[in-house]
This record gives sequence, C-alpha cells and structure tokens, in this order.
Amino acid sequence: MLRVSATTTNTEINLQGIAGDQAAAAQGIEFGAELISFAEALALRDEDALRQARTTLRKVAGEAVLIDAAGVAGNFQRMVRIADSVGIPVDDMQGELGQSVRQELSLEQYRSAENSLNLDS
Amino acid sequence: MAFDYDSSVRADIGNAHRTYWQTLTQPGNWFTSAQRIAIAAASREATDCDFCAARKTALSPYAIKGEHDSSVDLSPLLLDAVHRIIMDQTRITQHYIDGNEQQGLSKPAYVELVGVAVAMFSIDEFHRAMGLPLEVLPEPGAGEPDHYQPEQAVTGTGFVPMISPEGTIGLEADLWQPGRTANVLRALSLVPNAVRDWVALGNAQYLSFEGMSNFTQPEGRSINRMQIELVAGRVSAINECFY
Repeated sequence: MLRVSATTTNTEINLQGIAGDQAAAAQGIEFGAELISFAEALALRDEDALRQARTTLRKVAGEAVLIDAAGVAGNFQRMVRIADSVGIPVDDMQGELGQSVRQELSLEQYRSAENSLNLDS
Repeated sequence: MAFDYDSSVRADIGNAHRTYWQTLTQPGNWFTSAQRIAIAAASREATDCDFCAARKTALSPYAIKGEHDSSVDLSPLLLDAVHRIIMDQTRITQHYIDGNEQQGLSKPAYVELVGVAVAMFSIDEFHRAMGLPLEVLPEPGAGEPDHYQPEQAVTGTGFVPMISPEGTIGLEADLWQPGRTANVLRALSLVPNAVRDWVALGNAQYLSFEGMSNFTQPEGRSINRMQIELVAGRVSAINECFY
C-alpha cells in the first residue's frame, strides 16, 4: 500500500523505512522518521522509547498526527494477529508489485510466510 | 461514560471503542458475555505473562512447560489460545488449532476468541500509544450464545473455514460486496459479527473501505496515505507478518 500511494502521488520513497531505516523513512514522507520511531517503540513494547517518541512526534507534528498514528499502529497490532492466528495466505502471490516489495524487504524470512509459500509447492 | 477522551481525539474513535464495549456486554455466537469479557481481560494480561515471554524465545512453543500468569477465570485451553494470539501468533499452526478442536475449542469458538482478543488488544494499544490509562472492562450482560454459523463457510483458505469471496448472501450480505474482498476480511467470517466488529474498529483507527481506495489524503485524517502505510508497515514488520 505504501508503494501504491507513493506511485499515485508521484513521490520517491525508500521502502527500507519499513525495515526501520530512519533516513529512508524520511525520504518523501513528512515526519517519516518520527512516525516509524513511534510505531517501532509501540510494537517493541519499549515504554521509555515510546514516551520519547510520543513526545517528539507531538512536538514536531502536532496532536492530531499523533492521534491518527496511534490509531493506525493499534489497528495493525490487531491485523497482524488476525492474519497469523487463522493462517491466511497473501491474496495474490503472483502480482508483480507484491513480489518486488517482498523481495526488497526480504519478507520470506518470516515464519508466517509458510502460510502463503506452501500453497505454491 | 467509557472512553471519555479529550476533545482532541476524533469522535469516531471514542464512538467505535464505546460500541465495542457494548458488544462485550452481550453474548456472542459461542461465548457468554462473561466469557467474552474474560477473554478480553486475558488479552490485556498476556503482555505481562512471564511464561509467554520465556516461550516466545524458545526454539519451539512446545519446548518449555509452565503456566500462564493470569487472574482471569478461563480454562487453560482458552487462556493458552488468547496468550498465543497476543504473544506468539507467528507460530500458530493448523496442527495447533486442530489439536485445540479435539480438546473442545471448536473452530467457530476459536474464531470468536480471536476476534475478541485482538479487538481488545487494538483498543488497549491505542491507549498505550497515547499514554492513556486502560479503560475499565464493562460488567457482563445476560444471555446465552446461539451457536450460529454461516452455512456458506468453506475450507481451503487458512486454518479455519471462511465465507467464500462470493458467499456474502442472506444474513451475511452486509459483510462485503460479492467478489470484492480480501483474505484478511474473510479471516473471521465464520463468526460474522467478528468481521463487523473488525470493520467498525478499523473504520475509526485505520480507514473505511471507501477511505482505502484513496491513496493520497483520506478524508478526516491528519496524516496522508503514505504516512498511514508507513506506520502500518513498520508495525507489521516488527510483528514479522508476511501477509
């Protein structure tokens, strides 16, 4: 979805932001570095880092951005657990865009990749 | 009033959270209200469970034996399922779910349990992200589960039966337009209300279906679609979610 939205808006981004590279996250995305620090601290359950990331995001981007980012982060803490708890495969493993993103981010190393890759074997 | 947020928090977020709290006070298809609230409480406690922390680092989830830290009145089978979903979801397998079924946790009951555990988790995670205290759980309501399940659910995608992409007919006609869906939306459809809950929470915390087709600046959001997907992607990557 990030790649699609970047393409739609003609924005050059670096997907390595998804992998935690702060400089990459900031490329083409306003507050990108602060947003991934916030998301990362939440998902890693690092409370000290979360306090700091929340303060920083609020300061540089404002309360409304913090709220929307908190909503999305909380939502995806749920979505990933739905996907893995019932073992759903990726809808379209053959799509060119999805293949390139999975390759660029080395997603096939994840254990839950078995739910999709085993369908091809 | 529950979820009495500061006025800076969008009203639809508070409304969605209050609506979900109401669903906990009613019986589901497979659990009573008291059981649903116990599942929600177990979801809340899982992140502080020492056994889960040790098991997550073990080579196999079956490599170590122990008991979950919990004050909740749930059977060991249900408690383990909730803690696995919250703390070690990437190692849930068909074998685990089939084994649970043999011990009495049917697949539709498992799906309802997943739905409650993760809905609760997403609300609590919003609070933790914002630095807000967790909301007190509601008091259970009366009533018994009706054991409803959609006849058109089929096997073949994932570990549990789901409604097929074209199968949203009859009582399930509201879930999605026939043929226009994704596996993540179908995932909990063995318990249709679990899908409805997921959509309602997702509409507020992420995007509505209509909003998802906007790849620039979704209406009513302070962050653009790239910012939204950057946050979503980073959370998913840390959770090692391939989907």
